[in-house]
Amino acid sequence: MKKIDLHIHTKASITDADFSFSLDKLKEYVETLKIDCIAVTNHNLFDLEQFQEIFRELSCKVLPGVEINLEKGHLLLISENTELEEFESKCKKVEILIENKDDYISVAQLTEIFGDLSRYLLIPHYDKAKVIRQETIDELSSYISAGEVGSPRKFTYCIKNPQSLVPVLFSDLRFKEEMTEFSPRQTFIDIDDTSVRAIKICLADKDKVFLTESEGHRFFQVFENGQKLSNGLNVILGKRSSGKSFTLKRIYRDFDNVKFIEQFELLEKNEEKDKKRFNDLLSTKQNSVSEEYLKEFKEVVDDILKIDHVENEKAVENYLDSLLKVASEEEKKDVYSKCALFNESKFIESENEGLKRLIDSTQMLIDNIEYRDIIDKHVSKESLRELIIDLILKYRELQELNQKQLWVNSIISNIKIELKSNTAYSSIDEIDFYQIQFDKIKLLKFSDIVSSVKKERIIKQNEVRRFKIVASTKLFKGAQELLDKSGKKTRFKDAFDKYENPIEYLDELKQIEVLPETDYYKYFIEIEYMILNEHGVEVSGGERSEFNLLEKIQNAHHFDMLLIDEPESSFDNLFLKNDVNEQIKEIAKSMPVIIVTHNNTVGASIQPNYILYTKREIIDKKAVYKIFSGNPSDPELMTIDGEKIENYEIMLNCLEAGDSAYNERGKSYATLKD
Amino acid sequence: MQHLKINDNKGFYQIEPNQWKEIDKIDKEDLMLLLDKAIESEFEMDKFEADKISNKAHSIIYRNLYEKFSELSENKNRFKDESELLYKNAFDKYSQIESNETDEG
Repeated sequence: MKKIDLHIHTKASITDADFSFSLDKLKEYVETLKIDCIAVTNHNLFDLEQFQEIFRELSCKVLPGVEINLEKGHLLLISENTELEEFESKCKKVEILIENKDDYISVAQLTEIFGDLSRYLLIPHYDKAKVIRQETIDELSSYISAGEVGSPRKFTYCIKNPQSLVPVLFSDLRFKEEMTEFSPRQTFIDIDDTSVRAIKICLADKDKVFLTESEGHRFFQVFENGQKLSNGLNVILGKRSSGKSFTLKRIYRDFDNVKFIEQFELLEKNEEKDKKRFNDLLSTKQNSVSEEYLKEFKEVVDDILKIDHVENEKAVENYLDSLLKVASEEEKKDVYSKCALFNESKFIESENEGLKRLIDSTQMLIDNIEYRDIIDKHVSKESLRELIIDLILKYRELQELNQKQLWVNSIISNIKIELKSNTAYSSIDEIDFYQIQFDKIKLLKFSDIVSSVKKERIIKQNEVRRFKIVASTKLFKGAQELLDKSGKKTRFKDAFDKYENPIEYLDELKQIEVLPETDYYKYFIEIEYMILNEHGVEVSGGERSEFNLLEKIQNAHHFDMLLIDEPESSFDNLFLKNDVNEQIKEIAKSMPVIIVTHNNTVGASIQPNYILYTKREIIDKKAVYKIFSGNPSDPELMTIDGEKIENYEIMLNCLEAGDSAYNERGKSYATLKD
Repeated sequence: MQHLKINDNKGFYQIEPNQWKEIDKIDKEDLMLLLDKAIESEFEMDKFEADKISNKAHSIIYRNLYEKFSELSENKNRFKDESELLYKNAFDKYSQIESNETDEG
């Protein structure tokens, strides 16, 4: 078995932040982590002189390589340690093409520069930032068998997924003086020789790559000393100040994309504030429920906004005034006002929307495949075809008429203007009664809709484990609630006074300048969210924390690792046993989970895959932190150096406060039971 | 057929033969009928000359009609052409099937 890390950086380029390389650190890394083979893969460049120095100084195998910006992703290209001048000149060509960090070369350019790609080991970023797209991988499929991933979880996922490439996990480290610890991200491969050819053959077989030297895929290496963790559920036990939380924080620092639920993080400190924050968060998360519920209402409001009912009323008034005036001036008519066109109204333009929809619907009936047999049973295709032709002909006829009327309208308006400019006689105002009446009906309908929208009711209930999220509508009780809703600096007093009259209320909302028109619909009814417990009662502060914890564990699915620090400090045992344990076990099936605990409910009942015991010892007046680990069924736990400790004793001491207390409690419970 | 004429310092229009009316009586319905005539057949009219119509109101109406109908004579089929572009693809497709089927039958 060889331990390889084929992705390390020794020189800064335009693609990454500047750093000064430390050869000593690289040496220390290779020695501490006992690495057998590395590849130097700087971004789009290869420094031959530096490479040769590294090669001379390091005891392990060193391969020349380059990390290339290819088709919007990154690709590792690694060569045999021969013909280095030629490799350098090829890399130089890449370096010239990548002028900015967002520049990329194409597959064609890659092939042109490097020629026969089968001479190299090609590893794309696969499940890791700057991913190479599948179509590019497909294009290069003859040369690619392995892909780089970003975490042990993703590694395990690729191993299990038959469609995935063979996963490899590398450090991607930049070696600099100020480094204090090293990433344990390397891959073990089942091979004796570390030539590029041999590595390539090995990386074509998922059975030959591992995250630990001897444990198959069940474990991964967590610290540089070789300390491993299970890919499933790990429990860290230990006395106070023995380094448990420290260990957890270090894992959090060393790995990417880790969800860390810290101790007491979920406990409420200020009930009022926490409740508000919780409700706000809930509203934001449930926003889609409100949007969905008010979707149609929003369309209504948007349409109503187009109506200017004040202007409409004024138009009717003006029309009546002009009519009266014309009547009173009847005897004063002159040659101009006597013309028929002087008071002629225009033709009203019709959109024929209904007919358009009918044509589209007929088209749908003709085109539908899914329900063809049902349609055919009732209407023949021939009839539908004749129908659509007739409808189109009718539509064309109406549109033609429309166009003609528009043409006539333009004559009428030109003549009217000229006639009017020659006389003092009044004319009758133009008015579109159809439109005005239509708007009026719309407004009445709008008032009806608003009064139904404003009925308080439950609009959605969602069961989330033992909780129920209930969304219900609630009337606004005052201007302050409207103000809170808007989150703006303005006043809603005048608007709220009209809250009972939808049309006047909308008019008032229009007066509030800072309010976007598209948001008016939100101010008719509030949608409130509540979480109820299994008894149908709104949750208490403690239950809110429980809900939060379960939510956080659930959401950890988006991460690559989950860390939980002493959940028992915030929650009671029954909740932990019934709800939390079950969920943690579920999530540990797909990613590494690490829990720090003193509690027997969490520590023992959860049946972890792996146990770590942290211990602080004072040696020569200095604190030394040790980690013992093993399977829960092992009689002894062991440090990396081989020091042993009895498992049973630890479990009892940490989780049950020792043997005598455990027996004592047993007796007490027995007495109580009797 | 002639539809607009100038006579006795006034403007006249007719829709059907021998039904001349004074042009100040024309309304929008008559305009629509005149338009149809202009599209369907030859549309003749007396050239507008301001000094031949002393009635100012007649002059305004006659001039406007004369200009519009002259303009129209250059592109009589515009209304038909525009409307035939509507749903053209669907119409062509389904009427095509009909004629093919008829051919085969």
